[in-house]
Amino acid sequence: MAMLSFERKYRIRGGTLVTGDLFDFWIGPFYVGFFGISGAFFTVLGTVMILYGAAIGPTWNLWQISIAPPDVSYGLRFAPIREGGLWQIITVCALGSFVSWALREVEICRKLGMGYHVPVAFGFAIGAYFTLEVVRPVLMGAWGHAFPYGIYSHLDWVSNVAYQYLHFHYNPWHCIAASLFFATTLALSLHGALVLSATNPKRGEEVKTPEHEDTFFRDFIGYSVGTLGIHRLGLFLALSSVVFAGLCIVVSGPFWTRSWPEWWGWWLNMPIWR
Amino acid sequence: MNSFTRVALAPLPILAVLLAGCERPPIQTEQTGYRGTGMEQIYNPRTLKKLAAANQAPAAPAVAPNPDGPKAGATYQNVKVLGDLSVADFTRLMVSITQWVAPQEGCNYCHNPENLADDSKYTKVVARRMIQMTQHVNADWKAHVGGTGVTCYTCHRGHPQPAQVWYAPADRKYKNAVLGNDAKQNRAAASVALSSLPYDPFTPYLKEDQPIRVNGNEALRQLGEGAHRTSTKQAEFTYALMMHMSSSLGVNCTFCHNTRAFQSWEESTPKRATAWHGIRMARDLNVSYLEPLTGTFPASRLGPKGDVAKVNCSTCHQGIHKPLYGAQMAKDFPELGAKTGTP
Amino acid sequence: MAEYQNLFTQVQPTGPVSEGVPLPKGDWERTGVPFFLHLLGRLGNAQIGPVYLGGLGVASLIAGTLSFNIIGFNMLASVDWNPIQMVRQIFWLALDPPAPSYGLHLPPLGDGGWWMLAGFLLTISLLLWWARTYRRARQLGMGTHVAWAFAAAIWLFLVCGFFRPVLMGSWAEAVPFGIFPHLDWVAALSLRHGNFFYNPFHALSIVFLYGSVLLFAMHGATILAVTRFGGEREIEQIVDRGTASERAALFWRWTMGFNATMESIHRWAWWFAVLCPLVGGLGVLLTGTVVDNWYLWSMKHGVVPSYPEVYPVVVDPALMGGK
Repeated sequence: MAMLSFERKYRIRGGTLVTGDLFDFWIGPFYVGFFGISGAFFTVLGTVMILYGAAIGPTWNLWQISIAPPDVSYGLRFAPIREGGLWQIITVCALGSFVSWALREVEICRKLGMGYHVPVAFGFAIGAYFTLEVVRPVLMGAWGHAFPYGIYSHLDWVSNVAYQYLHFHYNPWHCIAASLFFATTLALSLHGALVLSATNPKRGEEVKTPEHEDTFFRDFIGYSVGTLGIHRLGLFLALSSVVFAGLCIVVSGPFWTRSWPEWWGWWLNMPIWR
Repeated sequence: MNSFTRVALAPLPILAVLLAGCERPPIQTEQTGYRGTGMEQIYNPRTLKKLAAANQAPAAPAVAPNPDGPKAGATYQNVKVLGDLSVADFTRLMVSITQWVAPQEGCNYCHNPENLADDSKYTKVVARRMIQMTQHVNADWKAHVGGTGVTCYTCHRGHPQPAQVWYAPADRKYKNAVLGNDAKQNRAAASVALSSLPYDPFTPYLKEDQPIRVNGNEALRQLGEGAHRTSTKQAEFTYALMMHMSSSLGVNCTFCHNTRAFQSWEESTPKRATAWHGIRMARDLNVSYLEPLTGTFPASRLGPKGDVAKVNCSTCHQGIHKPLYGAQMAKDFPELGAKTGTP
Repeated sequence: MAEYQNLFTQVQPTGPVSEGVPLPKGDWERTGVPFFLHLLGRLGNAQIGPVYLGGLGVASLIAGTLSFNIIGFNMLASVDWNPIQMVRQIFWLALDPPAPSYGLHLPPLGDGGWWMLAGFLLTISLLLWWARTYRRARQLGMGTHVAWAFAAAIWLFLVCGFFRPVLMGSWAEAVPFGIFPHLDWVAALSLRHGNFFYNPFHALSIVFLYGSVLLFAMHGATILAVTRFGGEREIEQIVDRGTASERAALFWRWTMGFNATMESIHRWAWWFAVLCPLVGGLGVLLTGTVVDNWYLWSMKHGVVPSYPEVYPVVVDPALMGGK
């Protein structure tokens, strides 16, 4: 049985949100719970639908398989299975599966007496997906505005949607989101490196302390956010990236129809310097 | 309100400010490619309404063309281009041109009221050449203007000078200084939809014949003579031209291209072929008709570098992918459909 | 449900400032009188300073400041020394590399020479800062992981501004110093070389970029969730595993069947973050030097999806006798 040396004492009953003890068990290393069951249901159904979509599609080439949303002419209605209905079912399955996963994490948090930071953070990611595939299409009036499920086809969609606004890099929220993504990655590299450099010191030296970590960063840039702060900062940066990424796409279309460079007209034409 | 709530709400005013620069739903869309590819035109219906109001074609003249009766060339003096028209049709066209080009100024904008045949006003000389240009467009550029054709009104819209023309841009004040070379880009230029892309994409492509295509036909880099060597800078210039085209036509890149492969004609829409001819047409008109008139215009009508006003996509299109929504104006004036007079 | 969730520091005890671990002989004195900023204390440490300047740091700052000023004064000159226009158009202004016609020759100062000088000084500044990063760690007896992570970023910087232009035989291929103009360069590079989305190294780089953000969200959230067990004392947890570490590990094991350890999560983090610029730089370096058109390259390798025809086939007018 795949159990860590210290694991047994943590495997206790309770902490579930629904259905009491009914699904309160593990399979191998995985905790199940009600949301494990619902998650598995949505995942299996969604995967089968994707496989079915591939089977009725033109190719089994993994890179080329694409399951597209309905034509824009369907608006927000249901579409026939072969004309986007499959995409609609898969989207429902995906959301069902993601939300189940998050709620399963909540149950695990409760079991282990942990804070709810991880499921909340995952909620932000679900929010971004929900924004792209549901909120924006609804605001624009058709499921056809959502992205297709395919490795390269979703990139084709990103390309075309970006060029709908001529030069997407001028989207201010995109600027902020990209900066935050880079900042998060920078912060992650610094944090990972700092901890590793303290615990893997110069040959012949003893493992260092948080005092050394703080000293290094103060010597380096004049400030050290500290062992607790860096995890807050990292989480905050990561979640902000996701929020701004979602914003940058939901404004494109529903709240802006022209080229993104032209959005800056208000800045250029402010009365103070026009 | 506790301090945490205050911190959480702090970004809201910033968001509100950013959104203030935006538009609002509902919007209007038009799918132009296979579903899920993102090939769509995105419109703001409020903007469309304003555009529609600003781009109405004038009513057709009350009288139909009448080729009977004496010819204008025999009746009037100094009629070099429209001499084969009947006097009735000639007068009908003159009245229309006045409405299209100089409704405020009237006949005297071009003509000496003492002697209508007199060529002393530059406007008359220019107008004669512009009539020939219109004929040339309708006769020889069907690949771009199709059966719809153009009239003076397509560009002039009731103004002696079309509102949307281009000149070679002025130099900055200290252009020879050792500091501050802008590399012909890097300013907020309306010609390229306020981007910092090269601000004059017209001189190289709509006057000169610089290559617009920047993509090669080989996956891998080739060596030797025939190798494709276009620079990233050239790609910026082409991008600048495309910014101009898109904003002139009120459409986005996916109107012509599947942007995953800009260069591929197989991936493009038929509109791209029409646009391809449009670029050549604009260049042809600038080189063959407008530039030769440089000496005819008074200095006050020339640009900062002493060049004549030239056409680009927005001169006719003015924010709409079919000028005047494809109004069939030219068919009421068959004399504008064929070339006459000495070239 | 009213349970404590560690988000911000609620109560800040203020003690004497920390002067830091003593420095070895031969190092400079630290600079600046440390002080506390309450708002920072909500998030992490409230103390700002002292900082260690050192010869490398001072030299790096001088080179960086010079570079910054060259760029700034060129921008100001490009709007005819009008400070209001400088502010108004700051996002648009730039200092551009020489025109393609110069190839790899030295251009006149006003025609790309300033760009070369600014780029050179900035590179010097970055390399000195890198050496300083290495030296500061060594002087405290620590590993040099920060320096090598920083080196990955410098690699991407040098690929875009130096290695690739040299291999392409033209300084004009390099990135301009400017906010929107460098974004124009990014877009134009992709357009010229047939769509960067079809560059697999770009795809991998994005995976590591998003992956890093995902990892930091997972790691940051996990540690915050076990701070009630002392989870933020990571070094202590690494050398002497406690219940915070065990719960954090089990959380992921039960969630996804796999867990890192308190040390290995930082190795995952380091590699994800470092691979982002590493493979991204590789993708840029190969662009134009080896692969001219990523879309055509991907066609050749059978990864480009095909869509049903919507229009009759469009033929290139240039092939039909058009000019």
